[in-house]
Amino acid sequence: MSNHWRWQYWPLRTKLLLLTVSISTLGILLVCTSLVVVENRTYEAQLESELGVIADILTEQSAAALLFEDSQQVKTILSSLNQIETIEQVCVYNVSGDVMSALNGTGYEPCPSLDVDPAVGFVGDYYRLLEPVTLDGDIVGQFYLMSRLEVLREHIWTFIVISFSVGVGILVLLIWVASRLQRLISEPIVELSNAADRISNEHDYSIRVPVYGKDELGILGSAFNEMIGTIQQQNQKILQSKNDLERTVAERTSELSLANRELEAFSFSVSHDLRQPLRAVEGFGQALEEDCRDQLDDTGLDYLARIRAATVRMGGLIDGMLVLSRVSRQAMEVERVDLSAMLAEILEELQDTTDTVPSEVTIQPDMQVVGDERMLRIAFQNLLENAWKYTSKNEKRAIDVSACEEHNSITIALKDNGVGFDMKYVDKLFVAFNRLHTPAQFSGTGLGLATVDRVVRRHFGRVFAESPIDSGACFYVELPRPERGAESGLQQQATR
Amino acid sequence: MHVAGGCPQLFLKFLIAMLLWSTLGTAYGSVRSEYEVKAAFLYNFTRLITWSEPSEEGARLTICVFGRDPFGGVLQNLNGRVSQGRALELNYPASLEEIDRCQVLFVGAGKDRDLAEITDYAHARQILTISEIPDFVDEGGIIGYVKEGNVIRFEINLLSAQQAGLQINSRLLELALRVIR
Repeated sequence: MSNHWRWQYWPLRTKLLLLTVSISTLGILLVCTSLVVVENRTYEAQLESELGVIADILTEQSAAALLFEDSQQVKTILSSLNQIETIEQVCVYNVSGDVMSALNGTGYEPCPSLDVDPAVGFVGDYYRLLEPVTLDGDIVGQFYLMSRLEVLREHIWTFIVISFSVGVGILVLLIWVASRLQRLISEPIVELSNAADRISNEHDYSIRVPVYGKDELGILGSAFNEMIGTIQQQNQKILQSKNDLERTVAERTSELSLANRELEAFSFSVSHDLRQPLRAVEGFGQALEEDCRDQLDDTGLDYLARIRAATVRMGGLIDGMLVLSRVSRQAMEVERVDLSAMLAEILEELQDTTDTVPSEVTIQPDMQVVGDERMLRIAFQNLLENAWKYTSKNEKRAIDVSACEEHNSITIALKDNGVGFDMKYVDKLFVAFNRLHTPAQFSGTGLGLATVDRVVRRHFGRVFAESPIDSGACFYVELPRPERGAESGLQQQATR
Repeated sequence: MHVAGGCPQLFLKFLIAMLLWSTLGTAYGSVRSEYEVKAAFLYNFTRLITWSEPSEEGARLTICVFGRDPFGGVLQNLNGRVSQGRALELNYPASLEEIDRCQVLFVGAGKDRDLAEITDYAHARQILTISEIPDFVDEGGIIGYVKEGNVIRFEINLLSAQQAGLQINSRLLELALRVIR
């Protein structure tokens, strides 16, 4: 509350009013004071001249009486002064300086001696006058007069009271006029300020302020209006382009999702529809081999065996494509996954089904990741199968799985002692249908690592590989750390 | 009264002291002799009376004493003094015919019998007549000295002055003991 009494919180109109009032008060005060001073001077001069005239008349009248030393006559002449109440004392001296006659007012004081010049003029509360009495240029005596100044003082006091009352009256009038006139300046500014306030609060850029006149306030008002107009136009443009952009995004998104759906439908139907004729080829091939074995020569049997092998490969390809399309479009269920246990299960299956190469597999215990368990199983199954496959021609198989946790990620490394690959083609490693080995060397569809890549990408991770010459291959899967942020990110992805 | 009744001797002493003081005071007040005062008056009359007959520039103002001179040597003090811009000059005419040059004529004692003749002659020539002869103004003179107790006063016959063509300052008239109009 006390803040509102500070100068900076005062409204503009109060400041303007205060400015006007203080200046006019100062002016009126100065005028009144100078009037009083001038009036005092004038009145003093008037009093001086009046008393001077009286003294002149009296000296002229008493000159003859002084000549004849007729003090009675002088007294008669002086007695006329009794009517003037303010005259305190009058003394008439003869030529030798002796008092001829004296007239005393209220107080009795002896006439001053002329041996020393008495103080004349306005001294203290009295005005004193000493005038020589002359006749034909000869000084025949002295006339001394002392007058009280109470009339002057009263007059000046009255004058002060009147002039200051008039001054206060004028000031009141000025305040009234100023309170009207200050609106000329304060009102446009207040309107401007209110308009700016409303615009910033309501974001309504259609508000305009009225423009008064051609002065700086008018210029300010027009400039403000122009500025707001520009802002309004730009705001409209921004809104329009935002709408355009949203529409474009929506169009693109729908186009994209349509394309995606078509693609998925295509790959799904391809996989499904291809499987049926393939099954027919495979089935009739088997029937041919079993039922008509005798009618075929060795060449025929060889061809038949090749056909059947090709159908098995094609079946694998179709399965791979189906898996790839599934990991691409399947919804994700994010949860905490015990990677070590999962890897152990996969390894058990592998050991049950395949070759008899002596294997030494080490899996770091208690590796924890966050993600979709089925997808992660597909990915790591592919990686382990690869490691198993490319070490199948070794005398001894060694696979090592370890994890390296960093600040916000976990990197799982799968290291084998297999044939490895040429680092020249490392870029093609994770691209579908790209194979670095012939089917004769190692069987495969060229879809496994592409599937791994897709799964890891959907977990916002990355996969990369390296192969030092003659020391096998090492695949790295980097996944975001099982943190709340990453989990929620995955969750969002999953619910999409 | 109570004081007087209680201490009559003291009161008497006081009275005597008062008397002594008052006589001393008057003695101090009239330090100048009677004729010194009269001479000063004579000079002052010349300053307050205007001769209508124009006098040539630098002309002297001649004061004549006709008859017996009561002033002794006192009047000599006026010789050479200036009144209304004119230097004063004393003259003692022996006969009436010699007074033509005078502007002021003091008629001394012993001329009372020819008073009418003298004043007529003088007034016809615009001469101010002054005298200490008793009832001088009643006899047609213009200014006459009067003694009122110890104080010297004067009387004025304004009619005679007007006949003579002399203008008397009203201030002088105010000071006169009696003015005949």
